[in-house]
Amino acid sequence: MLNGNPTAMNGDAKRCFKLLIVDDSNIMRRRIERLQQFEDLQLVGTAGNGLEALELFKRTDPDVVTMDLTMPRMDGIECIGQLVALKPAVRILVISALADKATAVEAMERGANGFLEKPFTDRQLNEAIADLMR
Amino acid sequence: MMLAGTERRRRQLVIAGLGTALTLVMGAVLIMGFRLATHMRADIGSLQTASTAQTYPEEISHQLNSLRDRLEVRAYSGQALADLQGTVKRFEQKLNELSVSGEADAPQLHRALQLWHQYAPVLDPVLYFNGQPYVDSDSAGSSLSREGRQHYAEVKRAQLFASDGAGPLQAQLAALAATLQRTCSDAAARLRTLLLAGVLAALALAGAAGYFRLTRSSHERAAREAQEQTRDILQTVREGFFLLDADYRIGSVWSEALTRMFSRQDFAGLSFEALLKDLVAPATLATATKYIKLLWGDRAHENLMKSINPLGQLEITVDNGHGGKETRYLQFDFHRVMGPEGVKQVLCAVGDITSSVLLARELQDSQENANAQVDMMLSMLHVEPMQLLSFLDTAETSLELVNTILKEPARTDAEFRRKLGGLFRELHGIKGEASALNLKSIASRVHALEDMVADCKKKPELTGNDFLPLVLRLDDLLAHLRSVREMAARLTALPAPAAAAGAPSGSAALRTQSPRPVEDLSPALQAMAARLAEDHAKHFRLTVAGLSEVPPSYAATIKDCLIQMLRNAAVHGIEPPEVRRAHTKQDVGVVSVHFRKVGEGYELLFEDDGAGIGTEALKAAAVRRRLISEEEARGMDTRAAMALIFRPGFTTQEDVSMDAGRGVGMDMVARSVYALGGRLGVSTHPGRFTRFKILLPAAQTVSSAVA
Repeated sequence: MLNGNPTAMNGDAKRCFKLLIVDDSNIMRRRIERLQQFEDLQLVGTAGNGLEALELFKRTDPDVVTMDLTMPRMDGIECIGQLVALKPAVRILVISALADKATAVEAMERGANGFLEKPFTDRQLNEAIADLMR
Repeated sequence: MMLAGTERRRRQLVIAGLGTALTLVMGAVLIMGFRLATHMRADIGSLQTASTAQTYPEEISHQLNSLRDRLEVRAYSGQALADLQGTVKRFEQKLNELSVSGEADAPQLHRALQLWHQYAPVLDPVLYFNGQPYVDSDSAGSSLSREGRQHYAEVKRAQLFASDGAGPLQAQLAALAATLQRTCSDAAARLRTLLLAGVLAALALAGAAGYFRLTRSSHERAAREAQEQTRDILQTVREGFFLLDADYRIGSVWSEALTRMFSRQDFAGLSFEALLKDLVAPATLATATKYIKLLWGDRAHENLMKSINPLGQLEITVDNGHGGKETRYLQFDFHRVMGPEGVKQVLCAVGDITSSVLLARELQDSQENANAQVDMMLSMLHVEPMQLLSFLDTAETSLELVNTILKEPARTDAEFRRKLGGLFRELHGIKGEASALNLKSIASRVHALEDMVADCKKKPELTGNDFLPLVLRLDDLLAHLRSVREMAARLTALPAPAAAAGAPSGSAALRTQSPRPVEDLSPALQAMAARLAEDHAKHFRLTVAGLSEVPPSYAATIKDCLIQMLRNAAVHGIEPPEVRRAHTKQDVGVVSVHFRKVGEGYELLFEDDGAGIGTEALKAAAVRRRLISEEEARGMDTRAAMALIFRPGFTTQEDVSMDAGRGVGMDMVARSVYALGGRLGVSTHPGRFTRFKILLPAAQTVSSAVA
């Protein structure tokens, strides 16, 4: 369970995680939206760049975020830092085609919780999201 | 190490406990024994007293008897009385001793004292008698005086009392003595038991200590063996192992392999950052440091951390121990060691994967090589066979020439430099043609060779040895050309022309001596234009006219010149589309080539509608390249400045690419034109066009012009 979140301590057997998808590719967004595996995951928004993500984040207060790194206006690395500053308990999964380990380390250092390299299979995506909600 | 420490402390505690217990037991035994002995001594004293005292009542009775007898016979009684007084006094003293000793509350003593107190009223008058018992008269002799008669009566009474009382009193005292005797033997028995118990306890404790010592030494031996085994493992294992603490410092234990990998010994306490600091690039070091910090967090699980490990294949440069440097590839693996409060330490395993990396690289190289061959084959399929063969002939001839240049004896630095200049021009020509035909594998090899020549040029002093690597590289290139020819032959099923192995001389001369059917240059030029446009992100159209008029003896030179000029036009002349738009020009530039017969001779016009040539830029570049001094530059007019582009080594390009920047292009054009006895002119308008005009004499005058 996530710490610091009051709803997590209400004793609800079924707690719903709110999901925000951040990716500048339409196809990728739709692919993540199709996540069927998790009934306790509720999509609250999709954003195409860092600034949009930040705005949506403030409005919808998600628990789980999937984050692309290379995006216009504000890139993923910077966006991660800002989201974590807003809500330290947020869980962020970086989904990126950048195979560069340094970028992954940088993202983790900024506060990301997971890293998934593009291209990925549905199974890998499901596992990564499950890891995140654990 | 930690475990052994606790074990050792525990054992020390047990030994200290045993020692204390032994001391306490022995102390208690000694104190109790001492007290028992003291009591026993007192009891034995009392026993002796009681034994002596029990004879006194009889003695008293006896002495009273003797005193009465003396009084009856009127003998001297003073001595007998004194004896009685002494005895009574001693008896009382004995009783006193018994009362003050520990036996005061013994019932026998109590009763003896009671009996003795009953003696007092009858015995005291006798003892304290101090008169004259006798009176002497002549008539009756000695007779009892009045006092004497009373004394006699008292003695008689006391004597009767004493002879009755002596028995019970003595019996009581004997009973007391018997009791004391028992007490004494009891005490002795207790003392024996105590001493025995003490000895047994001491033996038991000593046994325990001995056992403990034995087990301790066996434990220590086991620990020592374990330590030795650990050391053996750490010395033998091929991976480098060490532990990092929460301050990212290396612990005191590490495997020997680290010494070989990092060529150092001082690992204990060394920070991870310091370990890598001089071996890797700063950016890599920063990433590695961040990663190590992340390992201590609980945000990412082991598998994720493994997947983003930036040190999976780390290239480091270390001293090879012989004064040189050596590149190694290391693989770092990290495993978190968990304690009760999260990550306690991180175990690092370092493997030297240099050989596998090199093997993988070799595989990749050979793969690329194979791919390149396929590519080359495919590109050859696009080239007209005749054109390809003609290129191969030219290239091989040029390379033979290069070989000859290399073999020419030279002594002075200037001669060596002249050789390099010659090499450069020949190579540049081959590269241009190879590029025009899109034969990348050949072009890139020549480019590499050019790089080596350029490196040689930079050396402050040249010797024959500097040319050796060039010779090797040249052999490689020739072998490659041969394989291309073989492949071409197989592809086209055409026999390779025997003319290729002709005697080396000036390339232009050779070309004139082996005339071939005139090839159509246009497709090659168009292909090259397309490639140049793509490589340099330029948009332009190439129009060609009259090239079929080129006489066979001029074909090679015209082709070389066109390649160089086309390259110059694409790199320097035509502007990028956005620049053209800004100058209200058409997006797509135009490069035109026009060849025609003029009178006896020929004219080649080459024109582009690009940026033109700025004389100031030319002068600046020439000064930068130290071809002229700044003073000379100031004194130059437009015409002289223009002539700079035909100077050897001139270029305005800062970076060397496949297509420009070496400064041999126009120099070569000019030389080939002059070699044919032709003339060359250039006109330009900044921002609008550049036009080259080449005039060549009638073809039959060529051989005399060259000779």
